[in-house]
Amino acid sequence: MNAAEIYKLSRLAIFWLSVTFGAVWVACWGVGVFIPSLITGKMPFLLQVDNPSTTVVFIADLLRSLTPILSLLVFIPINAMFMVLFERRSLALFTVRMGPNRHGFDGLAQTAADAVKLLFKEDITPRGADAFMFTLAPIIFFAPSIFGALPLLAAVTNNHDLFKVANLPTGIFYILAAASIPVVALVMAGWASNNKYSLVGGLRSAAQAISYEIPLVLSLVTMCLLAGTLDVVEIVEQQKGGILNWNILGGGALSGYDKLAPYWLNLVDTSFDTSAMFGQFYPVPWLSSIMAFVLVICTVLLFGLYLTGACAEINRIPFDLPEAESELVSGYNTEYSGIKFAIFFLAEFTNLFVVSSIATVMFLGGGDNPIPKWILDRLPLEPISNALGSLLSPLIKDLMFIDPATFWAAFWVIVKVYSIVFFAILVRGTLPRFRIDQLMDFGWKRLIPLALILFVVVVFARTWVVCHG
Amino acid sequence: MANLLDRAVESFKRVGEGLKTVFMHSFREPTTQEYPEKIQDLAPHFRGRLALAVNPDTGDHLCISCRQCERVCPDKCIEITAHKSPETNKLELIDFKIDHGLCMFCGLCTEVCPTTCIINTNDFEMADYSRESLIYDIKRLTLTQDESTYYFDKKELPRPKPKAAAKPAAAAGAAGAAAKSAAAGGDAAAKAAAAKAAAAKAAAAKAAAAKAAAAKTDDGETKAEPKAESKSEEKAAEPKADAEAAKKDVVEAKTEDITAEPKADAEAAKKDVVEAKTEDKAAEAPEKDAKKDVKEAKADEKDPE
Amino acid sequence: MEFVNVQELVSTGVAEALAFYFIAALAITLSIGVISDKNVIRAGFLLIGVFGGISGLFFLLQAQFIALAQVMIYAVGITLVVVIALMLTNPRLQNEEAEEEAIASSEPALLKFLDSIRNGFPGLVAWIAFVTVYMAIRSEHWEQSTQTIGEDNIAVIGRALTTDYSLPFEFASVLLLAALIGAIMLAKAEKVEDTDTPREGIESGSN
Ligand code: SF4
Ligand code: SF4
Repeated sequence: MNAAEIYKLSRLAIFWLSVTFGAVWVACWGVGVFIPSLITGKMPFLLQVDNPSTTVVFIADLLRSLTPILSLLVFIPINAMFMVLFERRSLALFTVRMGPNRHGFDGLAQTAADAVKLLFKEDITPRGADAFMFTLAPIIFFAPSIFGALPLLAAVTNNHDLFKVANLPTGIFYILAAASIPVVALVMAGWASNNKYSLVGGLRSAAQAISYEIPLVLSLVTMCLLAGTLDVVEIVEQQKGGILNWNILGGGALSGYDKLAPYWLNLVDTSFDTSAMFGQFYPVPWLSSIMAFVLVICTVLLFGLYLTGACAEINRIPFDLPEAESELVSGYNTEYSGIKFAIFFLAEFTNLFVVSSIATVMFLGGGDNPIPKWILDRLPLEPISNALGSLLSPLIKDLMFIDPATFWAAFWVIVKVYSIVFFAILVRGTLPRFRIDQLMDFGWKRLIPLALILFVVVVFARTWVVCHG
Repeated sequence: MANLLDRAVESFKRVGEGLKTVFMHSFREPTTQEYPEKIQDLAPHFRGRLALAVNPDTGDHLCISCRQCERVCPDKCIEITAHKSPETNKLELIDFKIDHGLCMFCGLCTEVCPTTCIINTNDFEMADYSRESLIYDIKRLTLTQDESTYYFDKKELPRPKPKAAAKPAAAAGAAGAAAKSAAAGGDAAAKAAAAKAAAAKAAAAKAAAAKAAAAKTDDGETKAEPKAESKSEEKAAEPKADAEAAKKDVVEAKTEDITAEPKADAEAAKKDVVEAKTEDKAAEAPEKDAKKDVKEAKADEKDPE
Repeated sequence: MEFVNVQELVSTGVAEALAFYFIAALAITLSIGVISDKNVIRAGFLLIGVFGGISGLFFLLQAQFIALAQVMIYAVGITLVVVIALMLTNPRLQNEEAEEEAIASSEPALLKFLDSIRNGFPGLVAWIAFVTVYMAIRSEHWEQSTQTIGEDNIAVIGRALTTDYSLPFEFASVLLLAALIGAIMLAKAEKVEDTDTPREGIESGSN
């Protein structure tokens, strides 16, 4: 047993996660709650103003509506530092090594040091490069990961007041559109570098992204079909109430079983007529149950399809052909150095986080507790939560520092997202890189037909089952 | 279609198997070690830094200046300076240089050495600040008696026979004087060349230098002293001293240009030196002859060019 | 003017008008860049910017779906493919261009005249087209709709596409299908037995 290294990895994860999300939490609270209520004189314990001037109210409001962007700006760099370190340490575990453990307290500060080093490196523009495009490319690469992730914020924070403004009725489509922009930046970077390796890397990334976007989008479209909406907040809302309601298990096809399970298990009064309710969820006697089962298989496959497509979309191993070191030096970012390279790096890891959050929101119920509600209700949690609530009530009620619902939603989202990130790292540690023709074959001959078949099957199957939508 | 499904299931299984295997690796102890804290126990025949062993029993230098190693070295990074003693008619080692910057640690030199003098040690931490300091001279190369014993035991080499002839006691006085000055020179060189050299090594270097100086006193007692003092104005007048000085020049000429034929015999080298001298300013020549430091000599040689 | 709420500020006409003029100016500048830039590939990238600006205009019109489709399909999908095609097929080198210019300057007067006509022709066509479209737009009397925009305009689009406009929609899809098949037929390589066998071998190796 390798308890020491596993312990170190978990310690690292816990430390960095608390740093990351603590910083985001404090920043959001400070800008979104504390300063506005302070200047408008609504802060308890501090000075009270009765009638703030409209200018002050306007400033407070402006601050509040800037909170979503601010939270992302705080979150992205710290998170990227954590993810790089997490990836390196996890890969070290998988390859029976130790990983970076020198800098700071057992390697905790390694990526911080790396970041400082990168920022102080000379920023070189190669001769013959198109300087304007060369500079523009990292910006275009990075910007979508900021504004593209905005609608997700409301979804992962249980529709918190501060993040509501960022939500869009076309949420998931907006995210997908934003996620497709970085390809332009990659081609641009490849072309502007005046380097053959970069150009080939950029072209490869374009070819790959265009082919893998189709299964990716098709899988999400199918999920939206089951949910009946494009709004991510609504999609999360539908999946509440335990693992059986999540989209990965049939997109609500099992929620009938979820509702009826307590009656069957004699947890509530057995006199209730379950068959009527069963008929409500599964109208046709046998066919509906079979179709629910089919839907479960389909959604699980769609989840895999989404993960595969997302992996290719963000150029991670085994789809990292655009930056295949053994063939293309470093692909599109061969010529980049200093802060521009840092931006590429940042955006890559942010993209990994964003696609994992999309998977969480679309398939894994967002910030939902995986334990079914009827079990949760049985557990003696009430006194504990009441005690905690009264203990922290100055924080919750007066300072509005903690919103319990948001806290738990964020907690579960963090657990789910980083599990997916961990899985991506595991895949990176396991699978070798595709060859370009295999990549295209796999995308066009396997994934796209599979996605289309699943789409059709889901369309038919859901006519017999009552799903979320 | 069924075939396709079979293959899909099969490949899923394989990928799952792979993921499981890799995940299970995380429960294994790391096979790597944290280097500066833990240093791997190296195999006896690990090919690290080269060194010249002395006889573990008597402390005599083992090299017989046969130049086998010099000849076999594919990189031509060994350079031996030796001369034939007029009295015993045997080769005597003056200097032995290995450029570890060129060496590829193939170990061929250790294979051919007839007296197992040149050996690969287990030392691999040779990082240094300049290329020049990677050229190890005889002082830095020669091991102490203890170290030699350690490596002879570890590599299970046969113990060499002690040398038959003892040193002539007649030259003891002169040798003592020479040894002192040479030791001083050796000390300075050691300081300049390698600050990290262990004290034991420095001591070994002193001893080796003293021995070499003593060997020189055997053939020319009177000339050895002024030469060791590193300033000899009357050298130009004395023909014998000139011969000695010319030999030293050979060393300098060679070190100046490592790519030059190391095997070039003394005659040709001497001629070269004479030519070089005629090109140089006459006044500078004698001073240059006396200089022992290779680097300084190099710098001087570069000036007229 | 005093705003109490940021949402108010965004939804009032002033902010919208400012945003409109900004985006319109950006789109026009970029499109002038597209036609004036000597470097074809850079012009392609600028075209992506133009489409981005247009999608911004759609956003201002509350047509989120169309705006996003504009970004996803026109800006990224189609234009990017065009740019890549340009990169792979038309590396018009600078010295080549200079050579052509040198040839042009040494031509006799008549040829030069003809050349200038030839060069001016696309510009002429563009101007005629522009004027025609402009006149057409101006001569139409646009009515300002008082209808409020529904929250769920995606559903409206979906319903319209599958009911009232299903025929044009199907025509468009048939056209695209035909184009797809044609592309596959064009791209399909001649079947050569030899080149296929080793790849089959590799693939079947996993069995
Ligand atoms: S180890 Fe090889 S390269 Fe090095 S000195 Fe010996 S023979 Fe030359
Ligand atoms: S082969 Fe051995 S004895 Fe001969 S010169 Fe080299 S080190 Fe000395």
